Amino acid sequence: MTTGGALRVGLAQVDSRLGDLDENVARHLARIEEARAADVDLLVFPELSLTGYRLLHLTPRVALAPQRAPQLARLAQAAAGMTLVVGLVEKDENGTLHNSALVIQEGAVVHIHRKVYLPTYGIFQEERFFARGRRLGLVPVAGGKLGVLICEDLWHAELARRMALAGAKLIVVPSVSPGRVGPGPVPENSDTWEVLTRSTALLNTCWVAYCSRVGWEEGSFYPGGSHLVRPGGEVAARAPYLEEHLLVAEVDLREADRLRFRLPLLDDERTDVVGPA
Amino acid sequence: MRRGEVAARLALDGPLSVAVLTGFIRDAVDGAGSGGVVVGLSGGVDSSLAAALAARALGPERVHGFLLPYRTSTAESAEHGRLVAQALGVCCKSFDVSPMVDAYFAQAGAADRVRMGNKMARERMAILFDQAKALGCLVLGTSNKTEILLGYSTVFGDNASSLNPLGDLYKQQVWQLARHLGLPESVVGKPPSADLWPGQTDEEDLGLDYPTADEVLYLLYDVGLTPAEVVERGYPAGAVERIVQLERRNRFKRRLMLIARLSGSAINLDQEIPRD
Repeated sequence: MTTGGALRVGLAQVDSRLGDLDENVARHLARIEEARAADVDLLVFPELSLTGYRLLHLTPRVALAPQRAPQLARLAQAAAGMTLVVGLVEKDENGTLHNSALVIQEGAVVHIHRKVYLPTYGIFQEERFFARGRRLGLVPVAGGKLGVLICEDLWHAELARRMALAGAKLIVVPSVSPGRVGPGPVPENSDTWEVLTRSTALLNTCWVAYCSRVGWEEGSFYPGGSHLVRPGGEVAARAPYLEEHLLVAEVDLREADRLRFRLPLLDDERTDVVGPA
Repeated sequence: MRRGEVAARLALDGPLSVAVLTGFIRDAVDGAGSGGVVVGLSGGVDSSLAAALAARALGPERVHGFLLPYRTSTAESAEHGRLVAQALGVCCKSFDVSPMVDAYFAQAGAADRVRMGNKMARERMAILFDQAKALGCLVLGTSNKTEILLGYSTVFGDNASSLNPLGDLYKQQVWQLARHLGLPESVVGKPPSADLWPGQTDEEDLGLDYPTADEVLYLLYDVGLTPAEVVERGYPAGAVERIVQLERRNRFKRRLMLIARLSGSAINLDQEIPRD
């Protein structure tokens, strides 16, 4: 682990093959090795990284039970010494399916975030195939705690706020965001995402690690552009658009403490304001 | 948003659009384990842009161009098709579809020019799919979003393909990207024509000019305005009404497999399995 309390964060901006667990596990293992060579402490993969996104009726065929799946045991073993965040279709103890991100440390699943807000509009159909998550949690890492929110969860600002108020200094956001092209040189949805991640980092005085995927599914592209935002909203590092990339950057969670001393938004939060009507 | 501002909304960043569309072609072709693409070169801007994107995506040696004239096709169409193939460095073969089309109508009896045109379009697509099989390639589609939404196409003719990089581009976006890629102005700047009979132009067939059609479709389909709201923004009521009717009447061309559902697991209704 990096000395001085800083974390080396790796954002694995990968392509996933739709519905092909074996191939995707192999790709994850390759990226874990690459991250190990780069001394990464926390390695993040995009939303549904083990399965691909637009599964529709393939969803139940690629579901994994976190405590029993041999694929996850292999990833956990390969990532020993790192904190790993991977995306999958999770089959829970009742057989219900969730769009989840697992946090794995020292060979064990230490946290599961089940996506709370499942977009079901336009191109998105998640409520048809997944059940909603209803619980938030935080995970200790060097220098503080992190929380995981998946993609659409970040569009509902109260979730990140609650995590920050509970002590999160880093919000990790695995995402899959279908790209759009307009007059500007950057994919339009990537611009929108940076507005959102930077606002989240500013309003909650925390780091944000946004890990997005690349590649194509069913004629729709994913633009990449994964990035890290400092507490306060400055983009610290950004991966290229439209290509696979492992983005590695130092994240000192104590930077959030220093900003919070100068800008005590969280301490000043009030819960006694009433209205409107 | 007033008329005049709408065209600016349809502008695309050239390099990003080309990067995305070439990525689409590479992913579809290589993902299918295919050798490349075949494309019919009409000498018009749509097929020229599709071929140019494919040549960039795959390398010109994996793009197979075909000129497929009927005896009434203009010499200019073939010249422009060759010119584009040469500029892109892609090979270009020619098959005359006149004997096949004429043999059919000799048996079936004389037909109006729309039926003749449809037969030519289907004959061309039949050839392209056969050549694709022979060459181990996929058929590259060249229909743009304006044509698809207005239904200005022949079912199982020009609207058939294995993959289509232009299907989410309005006509003026096709022109814009064609110019960005430096396609010859003689091709990009000429009046669009299906060249199914002498003197035919798209805009006369449709009763609409493309800039109006693109902008009205954008406001109706992408932005979600009502026809009355589009007219309020300065577009002629007659043109808006015609576009609304064409779009409604031709929806069937965009969803070609209509399957009667008996089970609880009908293809594409109960069971949506991605093709990727």
